[in-house]
Amino acid sequence: MPQITYIGRRLISLIPVLIGISIISFLLVKLSPGDPIRLLLGPRATDEAVAAVRLAYGLDEPAWRQYFVYIGNVLEGDLGRSIRYRLPVSELIVQFLPRTLFLIGYVMAITIPATLALAVIAARTQDRLADQAIRLFTVLGMSVPVFWLAVLLGRYFGAELGWFPVSGWGEGFTGHLHHLFLPAVSTSLWLIPLLVRNLRGALIEQMESDYVVACRAKGLPEGIIFRRHILRNSVLPTLHLLGIMVAFLIGGSVVVEIVYAVPGLGALMVGSVIGRDYYVVQGLTLAYAVGTVLVTLTVDLLTAAIDPRTGR
Amino acid sequence: MKPLVEIDSLAVDFTTPDGVVNAVRGVGFKVEPGEILGIVGESGSGKSVSCRALLGLLPRHARVGGRIVYDGRELSTLTPAELAAVRGRQVSMIFQNPSSHLDPLMTIGEQVAEPMKFHFGLDRRAARRRALELLEVVRIQDAGTRMNAYPHELSGGMKQRVLIACALACEPRLLLADEPTTALDVTVQAGILRLLRTLNRERGLSMILVSHDLGVVAEVCDRVVVMRGGEVVEQGTVTDVVRQPRNAYTRELIDSQPGRLEMSSGRHARPAPLLEVKGLRVRFARRGGTVAFGGDKTQGIDALADVSLDVHAGETFGIVGESGSGKSTLARAVLGLVDTSAGSIRYDGRALAGLDKSERARFRRDVQMVFQSPYDSLNPRMRVLDAIAEPIWRHRLADPGEAGERAAELMDMVELSPALARRKPRQLSGGQCQRVAIARALALSPRLLIADEVTSALDVTIQAQVLRLLARLKEMRDLTIIYISHDLAVVRRFCNRVAVLKQGRLMEVGYTRTVFESPSSEYTRELIASAPDLDALRGGAVPA
Repeated sequence: MPQITYIGRRLISLIPVLIGISIISFLLVKLSPGDPIRLLLGPRATDEAVAAVRLAYGLDEPAWRQYFVYIGNVLEGDLGRSIRYRLPVSELIVQFLPRTLFLIGYVMAITIPATLALAVIAARTQDRLADQAIRLFTVLGMSVPVFWLAVLLGRYFGAELGWFPVSGWGEGFTGHLHHLFLPAVSTSLWLIPLLVRNLRGALIEQMESDYVVACRAKGLPEGIIFRRHILRNSVLPTLHLLGIMVAFLIGGSVVVEIVYAVPGLGALMVGSVIGRDYYVVQGLTLAYAVGTVLVTLTVDLLTAAIDPRTGR
Repeated sequence: MKPLVEIDSLAVDFTTPDGVVNAVRGVGFKVEPGEILGIVGESGSGKSVSCRALLGLLPRHARVGGRIVYDGRELSTLTPAELAAVRGRQVSMIFQNPSSHLDPLMTIGEQVAEPMKFHFGLDRRAARRRALELLEVVRIQDAGTRMNAYPHELSGGMKQRVLIACALACEPRLLLADEPTTALDVTVQAGILRLLRTLNRERGLSMILVSHDLGVVAEVCDRVVVMRGGEVVEQGTVTDVVRQPRNAYTRELIDSQPGRLEMSSGRHARPAPLLEVKGLRVRFARRGGTVAFGGDKTQGIDALADVSLDVHAGETFGIVGESGSGKSTLARAVLGLVDTSAGSIRYDGRALAGLDKSERARFRRDVQMVFQSPYDSLNPRMRVLDAIAEPIWRHRLADPGEAGERAAELMDMVELSPALARRKPRQLSGGQCQRVAIARALALSPRLLIADEVTSALDVTIQAQVLRLLARLKEMRDLTIIYISHDLAVVRRFCNRVAVLKQGRLMEVGYTRTVFESPSSEYTRELIASAPDLDALRGGAVPA
């Protein structure tokens, strides 16, 4: 039962977080320099036209009123209109989001198995050759910048060998897999080293713990001790790190999306910032923040499912 | 009869960065079927290492030499698979700290069932059914529900019972018990020892009981092996070893038992109260109550409820109780380290709440405290002479140079060699470190010294030395001492008067002799009966 009250408490605690996020995304446009109306109407608009639009958009109301109107609109799914695309922001996000989600899912599908395999091998062959090799790889992986790696992989596997496309996102599921292979690998190569180091450390720490000695004293084989006891006790810190990374990827896939010209949220964000497309930036900020909140919530719920001590 | 286990010239070396350390040399002993063998010794004596070597549980960097023969088979020649078949099935083990030896993420039923699945090939349901029976054998109440509990939901004593159930699961013939009751309260310890004796009697389970506590060994074991510095110094029946020790170290060990200590607790207490505690209540906010969800301050747990007692000038006043009894909270309340919610504390006739700033500073000099873990209460980066000198110049009683000279005198007073003055705490032994802590407490010439479990982390021979030192300092400096301890035998020898606490409530207070010889509360009687006593040997009382 404490688990359920914990989940309930965790959900309730989201409310103030979400309110905070909405205030910040509201202020983002409110306080940014330049007048969105002038941008909307173009440089040759008359003062009367600006004033009329201002009135029509409710921008002459006090700030707190505008905020509540904004909240009401957001709750109805109305995030405003893009000036550049002449489309509702929500539609834009729905259009661009699947590509980024696909990329993130792809990255996870590569990262998680690879991390588990490498960390387990390294921990079980501690200080021997395989462990040394894996540690060397992690140091290299952490010191190579992701954009450079993306460019390098694109040139070699894309341009030189022609195995993979270097831009766009393809048609159909297999097309997506093919097109997004290089971006997903470049991102994974940046994530895996950190996660492997983190998990390897936790595994080695747990391998020395008292309950492992107790399991040996019961006569359990090493393989079972490792899978049933050590691994379960080691994954939590790495799960939390992974959560932070995924949350970061939602907004941080920018570099890879730009390098490989994947039309995802990152590419949309950069385009909108450069084009001063305020409402898109505002809507994306809100979407990123909500995404981050959802990821951390998922991680917390997973933690509660794994560790019965959570929430005490 | 053929012995069940025969160990011959066992040697264990550890390879460390500083070279090879011989943890155990030339150790040999036997365990007969159905026998309980005790291995007693102080920290670093190699008793635990010998025990773990038997099951091949030492870390990888350990090298084991000599012969370990179990039931006619030489264990060192077994393959890992054969060894795994012996572990848990033939020989199983329980440990000192039950909390850390259970997997925190697995229900206790599952952990008890696990070895049976592997050794007997039982399916999940059959293994769980057996696990339930075993939990009942080790007297876990309401075992059916508790099966699905996680380790953190059980008390320390319960967890040790669960570990015993795990160890019994595959009906082994030998149980290795490595300090199984050291982390437990004395009444809980009595229950676990009773259980071990029952298992030995009813199932013919042979045991090796490793302990630092000769009293525990004397209560449970038939024969005893005394170890020191990795070697066996003496072995024989418990009665012989305790009554006629042949080895000088064994004699010292026996004489250091708190019950055997020769100590005058000084009888010139003046009935004038130095410290008066009236109706003291300390309340802690309940755990889990967070600020965001209206952590209600009025809801809480009473760490102390309505405690009233007087401490007379010049006496040694003992406070005994088990973990969670509030004995340390009482000390902290006197020092003003926790907020009290009701009641008053008067020192030297003045209420602490009404002291002005300078009187408060005076009080803080007058009342000093020494803590349980000397390593944790000393700054690890500070040399010991500086640590002792610091309070003197901080209170502006002398300039730093003069404070250093006084610190050197204090080191001499607590029998520490001047050669140690420039060492850091980590370079000292536990006993030396505790002497530093005592010297630091004495630096401000206090009138009242609060000693909170100061000898609990020390070996028994070192404990005897520190207690003698405290008794001498008390005479010399005209100190009043509040001695907080879970160890009744020490309190009985060392204190003039004693208060017994249970769950924050005062059970009784009175002269030590009266409390121990005719306790007025049921709880005190239980405590006294639970304490292992060397003189309550299985063979009967020992003539004085």
